Amino acid sequence: MTAPAVNPLISELARVEEKIGETADTISLRLSQLSLEPIAYGPGQFNMLGLPGFGEAPFSFSSLDAGDGTFVHTIRSAGNVVSALDRLRPGDRVAFRGPFGTGWPLIRTRGKNLLIVAGGIGMAPLRPVVQHVLSNREDFRSVYLLYGAKTSDDLLYERQFAEWNETINVLLAADQVRGELSLPVQEGLVTKLLPSVGVPLSNTITFTCGPQVMMKFVAGALILSGQRPEDIYVSLERRMKCGVGHCGHCQIGARYVCQDGPVFALADITRFQDTLL
Amino acid sequence: MDNGHILSASDLSRWVDDLAGRFRVFGPVLQKRGPTTFEPIRGSGQLNLDYCSTMLSPRSFIYPSVQKLFEIDRETNRYRVVDPGPERTQLIFAMHPCDMHAVTVLDRTFLGAFQDYYYSSLRQGTLTVVLNCNRACDKGFCPSMGTGPFLRIEEGYDVEMTSLGNEFLLEPGSQRGSELIEGAPDVGPASEEHLQRKAAIEEEARASFHKSLDTEGLPELLMETLDHPVYKEVADLRCLGCTNCTMVCPTCYCYNVLDRSDFGPKRVERGRQWDSCQDLYFAQVHTGNFREPQQARLRQFLTHKLGTWIEQYGCFGCVGCGRCMTWCPTEIDITEMAKEIQRAPDRGLEQE
Repeated sequence: MTAPAVNPLISELARVEEKIGETADTISLRLSQLSLEPIAYGPGQFNMLGLPGFGEAPFSFSSLDAGDGTFVHTIRSAGNVVSALDRLRPGDRVAFRGPFGTGWPLIRTRGKNLLIVAGGIGMAPLRPVVQHVLSNREDFRSVYLLYGAKTSDDLLYERQFAEWNETINVLLAADQVRGELSLPVQEGLVTKLLPSVGVPLSNTITFTCGPQVMMKFVAGALILSGQRPEDIYVSLERRMKCGVGHCGHCQIGARYVCQDGPVFALADITRFQDTLL
Repeated sequence: MDNGHILSASDLSRWVDDLAGRFRVFGPVLQKRGPTTFEPIRGSGQLNLDYCSTMLSPRSFIYPSVQKLFEIDRETNRYRVVDPGPERTQLIFAMHPCDMHAVTVLDRTFLGAFQDYYYSSLRQGTLTVVLNCNRACDKGFCPSMGTGPFLRIEEGYDVEMTSLGNEFLLEPGSQRGSELIEGAPDVGPASEEHLQRKAAIEEEARASFHKSLDTEGLPELLMETLDHPVYKEVADLRCLGCTNCTMVCPTCYCYNVLDRSDFGPKRVERGRQWDSCQDLYFAQVHTGNFREPQQARLRQFLTHKLGTWIEQYGCFGCVGCGRCMTWCPTEIDITEMAKEIQRAPDRGLEQE
């Protein structure tokens, strides 16, 4: 029988080039495609990473596409797939499908202030945004990165903060501050950093990713300060099995997080139920 | 203009016998002590064309409840795609219009922007012969959903069949359908009078339904009443979270993917099986469960079928077959729930 030429569930292989310890429970895997045709991906998009016998799970790109078929995924130990990915070593093979999803709407941020608010592992899908800003700084007005975590030890990519801070404003927060970091860390939640943003929200686009409860309070505080829900973008985590809008798990109202998201304007998503936003 | 074709009841039997030799035919079969189910048949003698509804729609012949996707060799990391089949062309005989409509609803999911390889293969390898319903079934409300009792679609099926008493009117829906009809024994052209009889029977059948649902403005209303107390009331008092509704629903498409390895660790089989939004863990991720309360899962089912499906696919996700309420152990009726929301959309707001 005739079947479509493309099977969207079939994956291709990548080689683990490097395994980078980020925090006590988080690693980054730098992967390179085995096939010669490099995928093209944007900030906020994701891959389904898979290992035979353990299944597949969605992971955002934590790197900016260099067009060379390499990409980085930052992974925190949680769940079946991840514990298997955690055991990979350089030279090992891993299956992937992607890129999926729409990504951060960088097209909307041109000539505007950009406010990036990240919590914990939520920094991973936002790092390529920061990297994009660093190489296209003239496209933006003021750019702020507000990043919080449970403890200062849990802040990802700490060794890059000082460099980022030369070009954009990097503000850090942690419930528990331990030791010295390259930049000062304010004790408390990431929302405590919001008053330090020195630009009017009327000409600002916000990108936020982190625990649902964090995004809820960040969005709430921004709306109270006058930002429109159309200008606040959230990246959502949902269960996914297919990545192509078929398996149904990631549905929120009329939206598929895998295809219509994972990045959504707050205004587009809060009209539905079960968003927890 | 093709007015269709007429086949006597005995010639219909001969036709089915012939089809059963050429295709893998599934048809409605009355079980010895029980319900009518779709089964593979060898001849017309097994058919029960007088059935009302089956517990399971013929969905599983195109979208099996359990399906192998890949065989993966873990040493070489080689993925072998499992051929979804069918080995022989399938033919679903005498499926009702609601179930035919439901397949075209599934098409919008699986043959949309991304084509599901396995579904596509089985769908293309399956012929469909629809039998219009001459009377209402107990829980059906297809006239309200525009999916019955007679076929309402222009394409996506092969043959539309109407019982006119002692003879059958056959009308093709596709080139393959025309060829099927041409192969029928002693088939003759239908007259204007046959078509008039069809219209009269349809009108009579339509009038026999006692269940209905007013769908006018319903998707919008459901989005405005997401906190309506009916969800909690029905969830607390009656919904068991058993997932029956989604297993028997002919348009449910959700699936889970599972890897299974043999006892040696080398070979892994990746497969999928129907999943259900009514399952507690359906929307669970590491950091939480987005639909933990039963009322949230019940609301997902109802608002999806009767609401958000429209925005996603341009049609309702409900074809009015009535299976979800027929096979619900506590007889939860989504039309009654929707009517309660329509009756008192603001109920519960004053207590907030």
